[in-house]
Amino acid sequence: MKKPLLKLAAMLLVAAFSLGAFVAQAADQSFASTKVVLQISDPNPFKQTLVLNVASNLVKAYGQDDVDVEIVAFGPGLRLLMDGNANKNRIAGLSQQGVRFSACENTVRNFSKKLGDAPKLDGHAKLVKAGVVQIVDLVKKGYILVKP
Amino acid sequence: MKAIFKKTMLAASCAAALVGTNTTVQAADWLALQGTEPHGTAGRAKVWGFIQAQYQHDTSDPGTGPNAGLYIPPKLIGPDLESRSSFNINRARIGVRGTGMPIDPNVNYFFLVEFGNNAITNPGSGFAKLTDASITLNHLKDFVRLRAGQFKIPMAEEIYQGIALFDYVNFTAGTNQLLLERVPNKVYTGNTPPQPLNSDTSLNGYTESVAAARGIGLQLFNTLNVAPDLEVGYSLMVDNGNGIGTSDNNQKKDFHAYFNVTKVFKGKGPRRQDWKTFAWYTTGKRVIDGTNDATHNPVEYDRKRYGIGTKYVKLPFRVSAEWMKGEGVIFQGPDKPSFGLLGPGVGNPNHAFNGLNSDAEATSFYIEGGYLIPKTKWEIDLRYAKFNRMDNQAPISFGPFTDVTPEFEFTELTLGVQYHINKKTRLTVNLSKNEAEAVTFAAGAGPNSNLDGVDNRYAVQLTHIF
Repeated sequence: MKKPLLKLAAMLLVAAFSLGAFVAQAADQSFASTKVVLQISDPNPFKQTLVLNVASNLVKAYGQDDVDVEIVAFGPGLRLLMDGNANKNRIAGLSQQGVRFSACENTVRNFSKKLGDAPKLDGHAKLVKAGVVQIVDLVKKGYILVKP
Repeated sequence: MKAIFKKTMLAASCAAALVGTNTTVQAADWLALQGTEPHGTAGRAKVWGFIQAQYQHDTSDPGTGPNAGLYIPPKLIGPDLESRSSFNINRARIGVRGTGMPIDPNVNYFFLVEFGNNAITNPGSGFAKLTDASITLNHLKDFVRLRAGQFKIPMAEEIYQGIALFDYVNFTAGTNQLLLERVPNKVYTGNTPPQPLNSDTSLNGYTESVAAARGIGLQLFNTLNVAPDLEVGYSLMVDNGNGIGTSDNNQKKDFHAYFNVTKVFKGKGPRRQDWKTFAWYTTGKRVIDGTNDATHNPVEYDRKRYGIGTKYVKLPFRVSAEWMKGEGVIFQGPDKPSFGLLGPGVGNPNHAFNGLNSDAEATSFYIEGGYLIPKTKWEIDLRYAKFNRMDNQAPISFGPFTDVTPEFEFTELTLGVQYHINKKTRLTVNLSKNEAEAVTFAAGAGPNSNLDGVDNRYAVQLTHIF
């Protein structure tokens, strides 16, 4: 009598994990027809404005629901996602329109060594292990890489 | 005629000495634009600057009576004051600004050098002069910023704004004489009399650069957003009060306070459209040898300046007005480096005709406006200015004159046209109707034998910002 109950519990557990994994995958998966990853790794301050302009133009052109845009910042380009950046209002606005912002953890570590403290990041930025790896992974998933 | 002098003004000449920053019909948050960099976006070194090439022609008549055929500084083109018609590179500045370590946006710098021919570089025939070199710490940027070095002192908008964006060629007489401070000569220097044109003697008796509305010291400042479209800016500053490129010459420091409230309409940067109202105050002491003898007699004199103003910019219109007052160390002209007028007060620092004492006052006012003709590159500007120097002195009698005072009144009406070739380049044409008179003297008498001839000035200036 105990064995069937254990089997049932095990099946429910597996089902729960599977469902959770499916939900997580679905949430991570984009159904947009156009997927773009924007790279910013340049120290030139004008590039910050440019990459935000490009993201904004993509959302305008394809519509918020039909385009998936992720901006990946690494190297000197990470400054875009540091707390208090002069473009913070634009970042917040784009984030509300579905644009994602990824910050390179390796770069954060390097900045921390130079600054003596870990730099604070914009609240809309998500840390990824390595910016370039994030870009490669997204390209493998069908994203188009654009480096303004 | 008593030698009553020439008047003062210096006009175009020294008017060349100001500040700098970026492009028109603009009001702006100059505290932030000139002292900080956009957080997190500034580069390591942004090279920038501007050039102003100009031509000026003055139609003033020479003096009459005892000064027949002679010219005084307001009738001549500065800074050399040897001609009534001249081409000049009034300003040619190049600078670098940014943040030395871009990943730390809490520190930025500002560096600027003047190569033009004006009252900054002209005394001493300097090749170039450092006008700005400052470092700003923004670690507490939500409350206060700290700036150290040599930089512009927040005060009247006319002189505090980025000068490359100034809508006229020459400053008003009040700003020129009260705020574009001539640093006193270290020893008593006699007045230079009026001269014929092309004289080989300089009519500018000052040996030091003008202070150029700058100081070397420390500043606490910030601009805070107190509502979505409302800013409050403040600045408290202490500096040597001894001009640029030099350390102090006494133990006393100048103190400067500035406050503004601004309603922001649209845009950002130097061309922002907004409505700014401001007040400022500056006080300090100057060491001057005003005694005409063979001994060095340095004496400290109080110098105060204060004013209020407002500037409204909403395209296509711009309107601004300022009022200011000066007390003590009142500039009497580039030919009077010890601040004493000729006549009964010469060489006597306690005399009423001397501009040194704290009871020597001057009052300045101007109102101006601009209209950027829609869908064109043309702008029309109009300015009316009035400056009363030494306007509070009790009448005295001397020689043939009864109940006279050293008050001079300068009035100016300028019509300007600007053509904006592009965002960084514009042509400015000014026609100024100038008048000057010693108000308590009859026409042609006393100082008016020199002042009566002051007349129109035409100026054309091409500005390019890079």
